[in-house]
Order: sequence, then C-alpha cells, then structure tokens
Amino acid sequence: MTRPVPRLSHLAALVPALLAAAAVAAPVEVEQPVLDAQRQRIAAIKKVHPAVVAVCQPGGQGSGSGVLISPDGYALTNFHVVQATGPLPSCGLADGVLYDAVLVGLDKVGDVALIKLLPKEAGKPFPFVALGDSDKVRIGDWSLAMGNPFSLAMDFTPTVTYGVVSGTNRYQPPEGKGLLEYTDCIQIETSINPGNSGGPLFNMAGELIGINGRGSFEKRGRVNSGVGYAISINQIKNFLGHLRAGIDSDHATLGAAVGTLSDDAPVAQMVVRTVLDGSDAERRGLQEGDQLLRFAGRVVTSTNQYKNVLGIYPKDWRVPVAVRRKNEQVELLVRLMGNMATEKEPQPGAGPPPKKDPVPPPKKEVVPVPKKGGSPEAAKMYVTRKGYANWYFNELERDALLANLKKHGDFAPVAGTWSAEGEAEVGLRKTAFRFEVSGGKDDADPVVKLKLNVDQSLRPLVDTDARLQAEPVNSGGLMLALYQYHRLLTVGPKGFEGLCAHGGHEPFYPHPADGSAPKSLASLRTDCAVLKTKHGSAECKWYVSLKDHTLLGFETFVSKDEDPCEVYLADYRDAGDGRKLPHRIEVRHKDKRYGVLTVSKYTLGKK
Amino acid sequence: MTTRTATLIAAALLGSAAPAGAADPFHEVAEKANQKLVKLFGAGGFSRLNNFGTGILISREGHVLTVASQLLDTSELVAHLYDGQRLKGQVVATEPELDAAVVKLKKADGGALDLGDDGFFNFAEAAKRPPAQTGDWVLALTNTFEIALRDEPLSLQRGVVMAYTKLAGRRGVFDFPYTGDVYVVDAITNNPGAAGGALLNRKGELLGVVGREIKNTLSDTWMNYAIPVTAKVDVKFREAVKDKDGKEQQVEKTVTVSMPEFVTLGMQGKYKPVIRGDKILSGEGGYHGLVFVPNILERTPAYVEDVPPGSPAAKAGFRQDDLVSFVDGEPVASINAFHAWLKKNTRPGQTVRVEVRRGEALQTLELTLGTHPPKPAPPQPDPKPKSP
Repeated sequence: MTRPVPRLSHLAALVPALLAAAAVAAPVEVEQPVLDAQRQRIAAIKKVHPAVVAVCQPGGQGSGSGVLISPDGYALTNFHVVQATGPLPSCGLADGVLYDAVLVGLDKVGDVALIKLLPKEAGKPFPFVALGDSDKVRIGDWSLAMGNPFSLAMDFTPTVTYGVVSGTNRYQPPEGKGLLEYTDCIQIETSINPGNSGGPLFNMAGELIGINGRGSFEKRGRVNSGVGYAISINQIKNFLGHLRAGIDSDHATLGAAVGTLSDDAPVAQMVVRTVLDGSDAERRGLQEGDQLLRFAGRVVTSTNQYKNVLGIYPKDWRVPVAVRRKNEQVELLVRLMGNMATEKEPQPGAGPPPKKDPVPPPKKEVVPVPKKGGSPEAAKMYVTRKGYANWYFNELERDALLANLKKHGDFAPVAGTWSAEGEAEVGLRKTAFRFEVSGGKDDADPVVKLKLNVDQSLRPLVDTDARLQAEPVNSGGLMLALYQYHRLLTVGPKGFEGLCAHGGHEPFYPHPADGSAPKSLASLRTDCAVLKTKHGSAECKWYVSLKDHTLLGFETFVSKDEDPCEVYLADYRDAGDGRKLPHRIEVRHKDKRYGVLTVSKYTLGKK
Repeated sequence: MTTRTATLIAAALLGSAAPAGAADPFHEVAEKANQKLVKLFGAGGFSRLNNFGTGILISREGHVLTVASQLLDTSELVAHLYDGQRLKGQVVATEPELDAAVVKLKKADGGALDLGDDGFFNFAEAAKRPPAQTGDWVLALTNTFEIALRDEPLSLQRGVVMAYTKLAGRRGVFDFPYTGDVYVVDAITNNPGAAGGALLNRKGELLGVVGREIKNTLSDTWMNYAIPVTAKVDVKFREAVKDKDGKEQQVEKTVTVSMPEFVTLGMQGKYKPVIRGDKILSGEGGYHGLVFVPNILERTPAYVEDVPPGSPAAKAGFRQDDLVSFVDGEPVASINAFHAWLKKNTRPGQTVRVEVRRGEALQTLELTLGTHPPKPAPPQPDPKPKSP
C-alpha cells in the first residue's frame, strides 16, 4: 500500500511544530508588548472587579448584573433586569456581601435603570468605576465584560470575558412596543450570556464604556452567538441627570418623518418627508423636502445613523439640526418631542416573538418571585408617582438643586415688591425701562408692571387670556416670566402648586452677550440641571449651570403648544445685602432676540 | 541544535505566531479590510434563507468573491460598498465544488468602476501565501445578522485557527457541498449573513472565505469554518467516450478544481464549471441489493427480478415483480434512471422512500441503503445470484 506524499502545506505546518517542540526546554522569551498588554489587562480587571454588581431578586436569587458608578452606591443596570427584580432588588458585590438596593430612575426605551445600594454602615463608601468616553471606542479595540452569567457565582464574584469590539454606532430596533431600542450601541464578540444583562463593558483602561444588554440570537439558541450589544455610556450620560432624579424618562422624536430619498439611489440621502403639525420642528421652520445633513453635529446619511443619533437624546432636549434647502444650508435649534406613543408597557403575549432578544435573566427556579420585598430601610426610599420611577429621589435632587441656588442669595426675607430699572435695547431702539413685580405666596392678585416704551401691566393670576399673558407682543410673555422668576426666588418650591420637580439634565444655549452671531449653535451649548415648575397656568423650565450652580436662564410657556418666552440671565452682581442678581437679562422668542435689559438698580421689597 | 539557536528560533516563531496582537490595535486592519468588502442583498427572505450576505472585492473593476448560495439566484443582486454606494451585481461564474461564485459589480450609469489600489484584495497574491497554521490568530469581517447597511462597517471577530482540515469524511454529519480543506475557527463567525465574508490574518491579509452555517447532525453543534483561498478539490465524474469500435463507454475521470484558477478564469469570464450531472458525488451511492430484469432497453422499466435474502431491499420488504415507480418522490423511468439517481443522491446508511407498484396498488417502502459488497454483482438475468 502506498502512502500519499504529504502536501507541501502540511510539511510547512509540521516544521515549526517540530522546532517549537525542540525549543521547549529553552526559556521562552515573550515580547514586551505582550507582557505589557497582559499586565494592563490584569490591572484593569483588578481595579474594576469590586464594583461589579450581581443584581438579584429580593432574597438573593440571581437575575442580572450591574455596576457601581459612585461611592454613595448608585449603580447602572438594565431596565429589563429591574423589571424582573422589582423596585427593591438585592445586590451582591465581589466582597460576597448582599446589599439592599432601591430603584432610582428608569430609561425604558434605552433599557437602562439606575439603582442605589445601601451601605451596611452609614456613609461607608462603595467601590466604583469611572465613566469612559464611548465615542472613542473603535472597532477592534479590546474590551472586558463582567457580570454574573447563568448566576454562576454564588459568592457574587463576577465572571470576566474578554474580546474585541465588533462594531460601533450600531442600531438594533426596539422590541415589543418600542421599548428596549438599542441606538448607537457597541457590538461586541466579548461573550455575554443570560445573567450578563446590565453588567459593565470596560475598555482596557478599566473605564466603563457600556452596559451589556442584548445579543443577536437565531438558530443557536439564547446563548452567546458571537454578537452582543452594549448600550453606549455616552448615551447613558445624556440620561444620567434624569435617572438620578428618579424620572421615568423618555426618548425623543424629531416631530418630522425623515427617510432616505430613494432606496435605489447610488448614495443615500436623508430628506424630511413630513413635518408634524404643531411640533417644534414645524415652528422652527423645518420643511418637507429639506435634506438632513447633520443632527446634533453628526453627519446623517442613512436611516440607521439617523435613528442612532436621535435615539441617544432624552425628550425635550434642544439640538441643532442642519439641513440643506435648495442651495442653502440652514441650522435650526429644534426642541425634541417625546416618544410617548412608544412609552407603553409591553403587553404579555402581544406581538410576534422578537428576533433580537434581550439576554434574559436565567431561569433557575420556577417559584414565583415576590415583586415587593427588600428591607424596610430601602422601602422607605421608594415613593411612586406618575411619570417618575421613584419620586423620593426626585425630591432629593430637587432640594439639592434649590439649596445650591440659595447660595447666590436667600430672597425669602425680601419677598415683597421688586423693582428694577436700567436701559433696554428692544429691536434697534434703546430706551429706559422699569419693571415692578409684586406678589407673595398667598397673594391672590399680584401685579407686574413693565415700562419699556409704553406702560403695560399684567395681573398673572387674573388675566388668564393667553394673548394678555403673552404681552409684550413678540416677547412670548415677558411680564409673566418676570412674575414666575420673582416667585421662584422669593417663595421657592412651595410657590408652585402645580409642580416643582427636578427635570434631569438638558443643554442650554445662551447667545453671546455682545449680540454677535454665534459661530455655531453647538458652541453655545452649556449643560444644565433643569427645574420644572407649574404655577397658575404657566409652566417654566429653569436652567441651572452644572458647573457653578448659577441660574443661567429660564423658559416660561404661556401655553404648551406655543414657543416660550426665553430669558437668559447674566452678569450676576450684588443687588444688596450680598444677594446676587443678574444685571443683564436677554429675552428671546421664536429664534429671535426680543430685547436686552441692562439693569442698573434693583430694589427688593421687604416682606 | 544549541540552546541559543533554539531560543532564537523560538523567539522568531513567537514573533510570527504568538499573540503579539494582545497589544495590536486591530482597528486599522479592520478599517482597511472593510473597504475591500461588500454587503450583498439578493434572493431569499423566507423559510430561514437569508436574503443578505457578504462578499470580498477581488478586482479594481469590482469583481466580488462570495459563497455560491441561493442569495445569487436573482437578477436583482445588490451590493453596498463601504462608502455607502449601492451597486448592482451580476454572477459571472459559480463553482459548486468550491462553494464559490464570482459576481461583477456595475455602476447604474454603465460607467467603469474603479476601486483604486486599496479597494480590493489581490487574490493571486493571497493564494501564493502559505496557509495559516493551527493556533494562528485570525480576524473575520462579515455582515453577520445583517447588522450593517450602506456605509456602516462590517462586524469584526477574532479567533484562532483550530484546525486546517477536510470536512469531507464527515459528509454524513454535515450537509455540505464542499470536500476540500477548511479553516476551522473558534470564533462564532458562521452566522446568518456572514457567508462570503473574509477570514484574515492579523495583518489583514486574505486567508479565506467565511462559509455557511453548518450544523453537526450528530451532536447538534455548529461549525465555524472558512474555505481557504488556496482551496483545491478533486472532482470525479463519468464521461462517455467512444472506444476504437465506436462503442460508447463510461470512463471515470478526475478533474482538480482550485480556487485560484476559478477566480482567475471567473474574472475573465472564461470559467467552465465541472458538469455536475454526471458527477459521482459519493462513489456508487448506497447499495440496495435488488436484482432487476435484464436491462436490455434504453429505458427498461425497473421491474424487480429477485430480492436476495438479507439484502437491504429484502429488509425493506421488496418482492419479486415489484415495479419501482418513485424514489423520494421522483418518478423512476428506468433501471438506469434509478441507479443514476441513487448514485447522485445517496450514500450508504441513508434511508430513501421507494414507491413500488405491486399488483394494482402502490406500496411505500423505506429502504435503508447499505454499503456495496466488495465486488458488486452486476444485475444478471440468469442464473439467480447466490445469497451472500
């Protein structure tokens, strides 16, 4: 019997194997970069390992994963994980201890939840991880996923998996009724399995770049099939203010339908198909046929990209939208609408089974798990209210925000009539101005008087006609706005019987003080904490700088479907007794500057 | 060999094969390779047949190498380039033995396509490189699960070569048309839409074409493989040749088909695939043991003359004078047709459904084919064959 001659390739395969075998006795020299990479990997894992959370049912059965992001116990996980645990989960850390926890905030569409772990000793800090910048993550980067797959670790020590980033800026459509939409997410080959849900994805510096949440499964069953997805941390950062404030937050729509010009076109172009009546997009002048160039600064050339960039913003955020109309480029600042139609609980059994599934919590026991439970201490920190995941935390954040505002001056002792005078620039004219606001917590008929060119006055609680409230003409309701401002400073939260809540974080766009045209809308962006109030028929949004807690401005809505009166406050100086007030008040309405009031003197009336 | 030389060699080997990539950024490799790949969209979209796949650009003019799947059975084949361009494609060559096809992309306006120097893989160069070794790191770039559209980059995965081997011996286990060498990889690369994607080495050089989704029917596990750029398959087939007396004789021939040749000729539009009709897929097919009536006509009806005891046919319950009418639903016109069908479609161990006319009624029999006896007895009119 003859043997076939081995093929050359097989011989080639054999030779190094033999040589390698011969070299086994010799000390193996490993290249420095390999050793460095290994050291870096070990260091990264060691650093973040203690902050990885096993999110469990009350009582301790495994469910999902999470990660601590602050020393006071705030941790991120998936919405679909807390959906299974209820608002009072138990959380295991790598130290083997099971902690009580409470739900703080929700982003159901984004599949994110914020929970807070309670320390065993008051004030004892938790280990936590730093947030990275997921926009810097690139295809091919190494990544580490951690969590508690298959509820393997009975002592909560996290499982670590290692792999490369397969894709960035991925779009995975929602499941069920619009929930669990993964926009701009990170695709990984790093193995994630049932139980990894809500757990962290790290870069090799040990920074948090995402929250693992779902995968693509098909024929191979609901275990890792080489394709997992993590919610990008930069998207979560946009919602973090909302989450911390206990808000049941919502994603956004533009208020216009945008689609590709033609599926058959050689190069995709995104065009505005229809603009929704009454939407802010319509009021900002977005038109059918406009070609969408950039959304919030990002170039948009495909449906997926558009959904990606739209999906990372909470509703009500104002973002710059650049369009091409004929041969002109136009940039608009559009206030995004809510995604309310999709904000419905998924009905059990409704709809076809989804193709792309969240990594489900492992089903180990068939025993029904009580939704309520947890410790009495955690239960005290859970207060339900419509529109909020946990109202307790909204009050907490709101009161902290108000306390910071108060540092600029306590105006309660000067709650009487205020007046201010100075020079106003309205349109092209300069003129002297004077305004006077009276009021108080229980004043049933306060009066605002404003003298610009003519004398005007408004009784905000009596003159309820929208046209009167919007006076002066083209200001959007400056007198009403001044009344609300006076009330916020002098009366505080008790003065807003309709609502006084923390509204999460939003960008704010104060225009240059010298009245020059801004370089770009994006250059104006200042990130703020928002306070939302309602008093009488008027709703207001107050923008407080995240940097120095200054009230940078506010918007007063005479009616929900109208543009607000936008008031920008600057040049804070002492207005007497150390109380700081803005000496430059810019009023804008409908993308136009109504006027600027330069205050020379405030008179604050005693109570 | 001195210790020093051994160390040097070991270091050199580590330099080439060890995971130095732990420090390598794969990003640039992935970005460059992504520009040489396309997303394909074609026929399918029903009963788990995907209407999406991946393709590898192999010429400046827009030739694409991909898997010869049902995806290509359309006149509306579409490719999305890395920059979002949408182009139509036309199949110019297929070779089922290599499970490969070459598609030519064209511009809508009919103008010439020029992808530039960095816009395609030089296939001839790739085929000259030695194959990757077991244990080498590899990267896969595919449009797995149709995640990417238009200008979105393909999905990157990384793994090692687990084996460089033939799956041929396992053909009863894998439903698989290709019998040559494959790279078996440990990354879960072969998902819906990934077929036709690129298997690369760490430098981004083309090693192979990511294959289909195949499942081991015995263990219910999935296999991740790629067909190497150097793939070679020996195809045996029968050809009718006239002998010196002018009589037709069936002669067994072997032709070697190779990926480099297929690609080169395919791009020139000159490739002629091996005729599959006469191909011997699995030797003689399964063995049934039936003895038919003398095969004297071109189309002798498949009447059973005898059923040797103990033969597969006997076990299935065949009887003398049965007329074989259908096999697995296919009408059987003649003894020749029956044998041709078995050769083409069956192998030992397989069960086929046979309908026989017995008297006035059709009977259905389940025939489990066996292996041919060392010297298969040709059907003889007489004398009756001895029982084995």
